Amino acid sequence: MLMSLLQLRGPGVSATGVFMASLILLAGCASGPEPAPQEMARSSHQTAPADLQLLCASAAANSAGVEGARVLPVSSQQLDAGNYQVELDAAGSRMSCIIDGEGNVTSIQPS
Amino acid sequence: MTGKKAMEKRSAASPVARNAHLHRRIFAAVLLVAFGLGTTPTHAETQIFDPQTRKWVKYDRQTATRYFARNKQPPEAFRRQVVKFRTAEEPGTIIIDGNQHFLYLVQPNHQAIRYGIGVGREGFGWAGIVRVGRTAEWPTWTPPAEMVERDPNARQWAAGMPGGPDNPLGARALYLYEGDQDTIYRIHGTPEPWTIGLDVSSGCIRMNNDDVIDLHSRIAVGAKVIVLMQGAALYKGV
Repeated sequence: MLMSLLQLRGPGVSATGVFMASLILLAGCASGPEPAPQEMARSSHQTAPADLQLLCASAAANSAGVEGARVLPVSSQQLDAGNYQVELDAAGSRMSCIIDGEGNVTSIQPS
Repeated sequence: MTGKKAMEKRSAASPVARNAHLHRRIFAAVLLVAFGLGTTPTHAETQIFDPQTRKWVKYDRQTATRYFARNKQPPEAFRRQVVKFRTAEEPGTIIIDGNQHFLYLVQPNHQAIRYGIGVGREGFGWAGIVRVGRTAEWPTWTPPAEMVERDPNARQWAAGMPGGPDNPLGARALYLYEGDQDTIYRIHGTPEPWTIGLDVSSGCIRMNNDDVIDLHSRIAVGAKVIVLMQGAALYKGV
């Protein structure tokens, strides 16, 4: 792969740069620690765990002063190793929630 | 800066600056590819971890069929198990995570029973807050009119296919209602247990027959059902 990248590089691109990029590519391909057997399935969409999405929904209901049954998480994503962002529909209004992996809501606001 | 001005500035830049700029762009592109950030997939795929190669691999209908033929059960992640689940929802509430192919039945003390499920294929996913309106054991399946029209096999069951091991609804069905209205969606069993973990249905939630029998024995009619599905084509009850 390194040779291919060296062959493909254009003028002005240093060999060091290509070498560094190759190292990053290889790091991206390597797998992390083996997950527990019950965690050996996932979706390519890295959504927030369901319980965290619902904790955000509960916080949004309190913040917006609407009934919990009218708040639904509509999308979510992992921000970094320990935090998730959850977008919610709260009785027709969009809200954004940030929650950590322990279930602590760190931010809830209209989006 | 306008596009024209930016172009003029780029054209006027020295070869060294242009090279540095190109270098940064290639480096950024490599970073994006390396970390899978270059493109956003329009439709998610299920992946399972292969302990032999230590890589996440695509888990599609073909792979799932082979896995099931070899192991006689779906991957461990999709098997019934008790998990930690921090929620204010009452025990007995059903939470469906359509993206990750899990159904949770909330238990006391921040726990839930997690089951693997199959969900709606692309364009058939939905989300919302509904309830279990009624249930049935070994339910009758009546194919929709358009299926009767196009599928000769379905035609013979136009008046209803009696419950049994070959019935598409499997061993139990939980009929989901929005208020007093049947949503036409169900949580049900399946004669195709290898489809657990996949996006295969027309919007119904399918489970292994053993699992749907277990779920049916634990829930009450009226139970709240929250369906989470990023990219849902339809919303119910909210």
